[in-house]
Amino acid sequence: MNCGCGSSAAVQNDGIRRVAFYGKGGIGKSTTASNVSAALADLGVRVMQVGCDPKADSTILLAGGRKSKTILEFIDEDCRDLDTMTTEGYGGVICAECGGPRPGTGCAGRGIIVAFEILDELGAIQKYRPDVIVYDVLGDVVCGGFAMPIRNGYAKDVFIVTSGESMSIFAAKNIALAVGDMKQMGYASLSGIIQNSKGVESEDLLVDKVAEDIGTDVIARIPHSRVVRECESEGVTVVQGRPDSVQAACYRNLALDILARTEGTAGHMRQGRQEEMQWEKEE
Amino acid sequence: MSAVIHPRPNPIVAALYTLRDMDVEVSVIHGPPGCGFMAARMLELAGMRVVTSGMSEKDLVFGGMKPLVETLKTVKERFNPKTVAVVGTCSSMIIGDDVPAAIRAADIGCNVFHVDCHACMGDNTRGAVKALEAGRDAGIISSEEAHRQKQLLQAATKMERAVGLTSREYLPPAQGPTKLAVCMRIARCLREGKKVAVVMLAKKELAYRFADVLLAVDEARRELGGSTFMVANLDPERGLPRIRGYAKEISEDLVDRGFRIDKVVGGLDEYAVIGEEMRVAVEGFGPDLLILAGIPHAYPGMSREDILITDQPRQLSNYLSSGYSHAVGEISSHSMVMNVHKIVSTETGDTLREIAKG
Ligand SMILES: Nc1ncnc2c1ncn2[C@@H]1O[C@H](COP(=O)(O)OP(=O)(O)OP(=O)(O)O)[C@@H](O)[C@H]1O
Ligand SMILES: [Mg+2]
Repeated sequence: MNCGCGSSAAVQNDGIRRVAFYGKGGIGKSTTASNVSAALADLGVRVMQVGCDPKADSTILLAGGRKSKTILEFIDEDCRDLDTMTTEGYGGVICAECGGPRPGTGCAGRGIIVAFEILDELGAIQKYRPDVIVYDVLGDVVCGGFAMPIRNGYAKDVFIVTSGESMSIFAAKNIALAVGDMKQMGYASLSGIIQNSKGVESEDLLVDKVAEDIGTDVIARIPHSRVVRECESEGVTVVQGRPDSVQAACYRNLALDILARTEGTAGHMRQGRQEEMQWEKEE
Repeated sequence: MSAVIHPRPNPIVAALYTLRDMDVEVSVIHGPPGCGFMAARMLELAGMRVVTSGMSEKDLVFGGMKPLVETLKTVKERFNPKTVAVVGTCSSMIIGDDVPAAIRAADIGCNVFHVDCHACMGDNTRGAVKALEAGRDAGIISSEEAHRQKQLLQAATKMERAVGLTSREYLPPAQGPTKLAVCMRIARCLREGKKVAVVMLAKKELAYRFADVLLAVDEARRELGGSTFMVANLDPERGLPRIRGYAKEISEDLVDRGFRIDKVVGGLDEYAVIGEEMRVAVEGFGPDLLILAGIPHAYPGMSREDILITDQPRQLSNYLSSGYSHAVGEISSHSMVMNVHKIVSTETGDTLREIAKG
C-alpha cells in the first residue's frame, strides 16, 4: 500500500478501463466507488459511474446529495434522451443509475440488462467518451442480471470491497467464485481486494488471508473514518468535501492504483464491441 | 436417454386445451406476444377465444400487472364472457406476477381464474392438471371429474413415455408410405372372406377423423365380403360435457350413415386406460387382420402385422423404425377437426373405398 505518497497520473487514451465494484451489502461500495470516481475526475480522467442497484443510490455523493431519476424510470416513460437519463456530477463524472422495479414486483436483474442495453443503444460511450467506466453493483449477485456487469465484456476488472467482518469475507469469497467462472469464459477477472476497514480486531490479517485464499492482492486499506459520514450528510464525497484529509488521500491513491492495475480496452460499453446494432425502435 | 428434444407441446398448451375441454369461454395467455400462438390459433377455431396480455420488455422489469388488468378489461368489453382463465407463462411466472391480485384489480364481474403454470414444469400434462384443479376450484367442473381426468392424464403420460412420443430422445417427422399397400391388404382380406377387426382408440376431437376408418372398412365389406368387428371409444356418457358432445355427434353421424359399432368401450378421453378391455373384445372375435386407428400403441396387443393409423408424423416414424411396417399417417388431422360436427374423411378411408369399388 502506498497511502499518502501521490504519484502523477499518466492517463493515456488507450481505450476504456472497465471497472466493477462488488461486495457485501452496505460494505461501502458506493462510497468507495464515488470517491474513486471523484479522485479520477480531479486527475482529468473522464469517468462514467453506473449504479447497478434498484435502490439507485450509487451516485448520490457525486450528484450533490440528490438522488437522480433512473434509466429504467425514463424507459418506463418512453424517454430516450441520453442527457436526460444521465446526470453530470462532480468533476464532470457522468452518473447513471439503472434503477429497478418497485420492491416485490417485476425483475430487477432483467432491469439491469435492459438499462445496459439502452445505454449501448443510445451510444452513451460514443457520446461521453469515458476513459473509465465504474460499475457499482448491489451487494448480492442474486441472479443472472446482477452478473451482467461482469459478463459479456461490460466490466473487465473486478474489485471486491470487504472489511474484516466474517459476513463480508464470506460474500467476498462467493463473489470471487462467480468472477472465476466469468474469467473462464473470457469476461471479467478479479483485480484486487479493497479493504474498507470496520475496525475489527486484526482486520488487516483477516483480509490478507482472504486475498491469499482467493489468489489476489489487497490493493488498498481504506480506514474507517468519521469524515465519510460527515461528507455523506453534506451530500458530497470526501474527495470533494475534505480534499486535505488523510481519507481523501487514500481514495486518491486507490484511484491511481486502479489506473495502474487496469488496462484500457477498445470497444463501446462492451470490450471489443465496435458496431452497435442500429435497431429502429417504433416511436 | 437425455430429455426429449423433438418439438412437443408444453404445459401452457396442455392447459389451454384443457380449458377448451372445460368450455371456458376466454383464455388469456399472460406472457409475451406469440407465446403459444400455434395452439391459440387452433383453439380459436374450436370456439374458445384465446388472447394474450402481450407482455413487453418493460413489463418483464416492472411486472406484468398493468397489461394483464388492461387485457382483462378488454376481454370483458369485447366478449362479455361468463368464464375467463388466465394462463401463466414462463416470463410472467418467473418474475412472480401476482395474477390473482390482477384479477381482483380488473374486477370484471365474471368467473375469472388463474392457471398457475409455465413451460418449465416438466410433462405437458402437468399444465392440464393445473387447469383442471383451477377449473375445479372455480366451480367449472366437479372434484370427481377433476380427479378422474387427473388419473387419465397420468395414465396417458406413462403410456407416452413407455411407447409413445416421449419414449425417444428424438423422433423425426415421417411422411410414411402411401395408403395403397395397407388398403390393398384390407381389401384382399375381405375379398378372401376373412375377418377384419377395426379398433378406434381416438383422442378427443381426433375421433371426427378416425371414425372414417370404421365407415370405410364397413363400406368395403359390403362391396367385397368378409366379416368385420368394430370397436370404438365413443361412450357419450364419459368425460367432460364437451367431450361427451363429440362422442354423441360422431355416433349420430355413424347411425345416419347406416353404420353400427359392434362394441363401444370407454369415452374419448379414456384412450390410455381402455386398451385392455378392447383387446379382450377383439380376441373374442378372433380377426385375421387388425386395424388400429387413433393411438395404436394404446392397444396392449399391438403387433407388427397390424395396420396402424396415426395422425402424428413423429409417432409414425416411431412405428416404422420399430418394425411396424404397416403404419400409415393421417397427417395434419388435428387442424381438420378443430371446428367440425361431422366425420371428416381420411386418405386411408378414401383409398380403401376406391379399391373396393374396383
Ligand atoms: N471508510 C468508511 N468509514 C466510515 N463510514 C463508511 C466508510 N465507507 C462507507 N461508510 C459508510 O457506510 C455506509 C454504507 O456505505 P455504502 O452505501 O457505500 O455501502 P454499499 O456497499 O454501497 O451498500 P449497498 O450494498 O447497500 O449498496 C454509508 O453510510 C457510508 O457512509
Ligand atoms: Mg451501494
